[in-house]
Amino acid sequence: MALLETRQLSKNFGGLRAIADLDISVEAGSIHGLIGPNGSGKSTFFNLVTGIYRAERGSTVIFDGRDITSLPSHRIGAMGIARTFQLLRLFQEMTVLQNVMVGHHMHVPYGLFTTILNSGHVERRDAMIREEMMDLLAFIGLADYADMPASELSGGQRRLLSLGRAMAMKPRLLMLDEPAAGLSPVNVDRLLDIIMRLKDRYGLTILIVEHILKVVMETCSTVTVLDYGRKIGEGPPATVKDDPAVIEAYLGQEMNDDEVRAMLHEGVSPGH
Amino acid sequence: MRDGLQATALSVASMFADGVGRLNRIHRLVPWMVVFVLLLPVPQLVTIGLSDYYVYLINKICIFILLTVGLNIVKGFCGQVTVGHVGLYAIGAVSSALLSIHLGLSFWVSFPLGVLLAGLAGIVVGLPSVRLEGAYLALATLGLGESVRIMIAVTPFLGSSTGLMLIPPPEIMGFVFDSFQSYYYLVMTAALVGLYLSFSLLRSATGRAFMAIREDVIAAGVHGINVPRHKLLAFVISALYAGAAGALFAHMPPGYIHHNNFTIIEMVTLLLMVVLGGIGHIWGGVIGAIVVTVIYDQTLEYYFYQPLMFGLSMVLLVMFMPQGIGGVIDRSISTRRFIALRQRREAAEGQDHGAA
Repeated sequence: MALLETRQLSKNFGGLRAIADLDISVEAGSIHGLIGPNGSGKSTFFNLVTGIYRAERGSTVIFDGRDITSLPSHRIGAMGIARTFQLLRLFQEMTVLQNVMVGHHMHVPYGLFTTILNSGHVERRDAMIREEMMDLLAFIGLADYADMPASELSGGQRRLLSLGRAMAMKPRLLMLDEPAAGLSPVNVDRLLDIIMRLKDRYGLTILIVEHILKVVMETCSTVTVLDYGRKIGEGPPATVKDDPAVIEAYLGQEMNDDEVRAMLHEGVSPGH
Repeated sequence: MRDGLQATALSVASMFADGVGRLNRIHRLVPWMVVFVLLLPVPQLVTIGLSDYYVYLINKICIFILLTVGLNIVKGFCGQVTVGHVGLYAIGAVSSALLSIHLGLSFWVSFPLGVLLAGLAGIVVGLPSVRLEGAYLALATLGLGESVRIMIAVTPFLGSSTGLMLIPPPEIMGFVFDSFQSYYYLVMTAALVGLYLSFSLLRSATGRAFMAIREDVIAAGVHGINVPRHKLLAFVISALYAGAAGALFAHMPPGYIHHNNFTIIEMVTLLLMVVLGGIGHIWGGVIGAIVVTVIYDQTLEYYFYQPLMFGLSMVLLVMFMPQGIGGVIDRSISTRRFIALRQRREAAEGQDHGAA
């Protein structure tokens, strides 16, 4: 069964068609890869699904059987879609713990007036939430840094924190926008390990955009390839990577076929 | 020498924090009650050495604390630029004054009504924030704030050029708050309650949502925060603070308000307090209110140059100490914590090696 489905999804920026009539279907429980050259519409797709951009008329986005096409971001988040950002967008001046607690925001069961009036009850609930969030931080290995501002973390730790913040939403669909960008090979493996463990622990469905092909090839069950906002290929990674149309679009014509094959199969990222 | 001083200051601070923590464990209101009791004899102590005028000054500081704490919620924590705060202050003052002058309502009725009206006006000032950001939002709120003042200045009913006079002082069971000393208990209590509420607000999920909006609007929305609703909420809460400050100001002896109390200069003074104290630090607003009020008072003979001086210090502050006094303190605490953490890790690693 498809957990996320788009039909005729389109987005224009002025005269540019960033996404054109895109039909994508993400199966529940799968890890679905989204690849394509720079500017092919991957991030636009993420922004459309999470309500940051508004899709053109005639587009439909369905999540778990419900139409979420024109909902605002926070409602989409509340329905169970979490995402990370390519540029992370952490809450820099807030502590690591506060960052994940914001992710948990919509699960806080009381409003402002209860907070101010009913202090004892709220304090106990807050302590419970804090404990739960500390567990999550321990899971991603950031428990020691809980009280530090997010801005003081290292690059790799920031990537982990953005993942933790998304997980605090207790999502059903996790959308990862280049989670491994800029990580060393060792850390890429660690991150993949954490993602796989999270998936098993919480029964997640994952949609992943990644330039590091090794990540996509090793983890995804299905890969969709975009170019100029259109789908040019789809299927299991093994099939997709030998598709001539994909090879040409994704890597351009500047390299000869052998180089391209070598790159795809060895998992070297283009341009790195 | 400098290290010695720093170490002393730090140990005093940690002793203080320790004490507060211990009191907090009994009940979280206990530290506030202790502070309240400690502040009670202040007017008596002040008048031993100084004139009654200084009690008046302390009352003004308390009112300014309410204003800066409220402004800090919307600007410091929610990150929304607003220059209309002083207009809300005026609405609280004028409405509470008029209600008690013309309808003969007691302060205890006109005060909450004034606060409420300011809160409603806060929705109007906040509405542009849903669509505008940064300088555009500042302009929109500036326009709203100034139009309130001009309304007051041109409408005889609202005071016009003569101002509103003979605003009756608060009264409770025959006791009248008609002196600087007695009024002190009112404004000091209000300032403490305001501070307390702002602390509990900002430690709540709502407070975290405000900060998330300040840090990154898009990420806040994606993580389930209703951004327009929280922006408006921040504006309304800060408007309630401004309204309370205004109403308290109106009924303070000598019971007189004039539209000159609500000019853009007042707004700049208010901003200076918040920036000097540290944007986003609740205690910063308190520090800023005290420092700026005292400096303002001590330089009254150079009245003509004060706006220039304050404007210049604002520019210098933004250039050389944008995080304010509160920010500097915070930074040094967090650096210390970081160093301590690293030392703990190194020690732990050393032990591991020793064991191996």
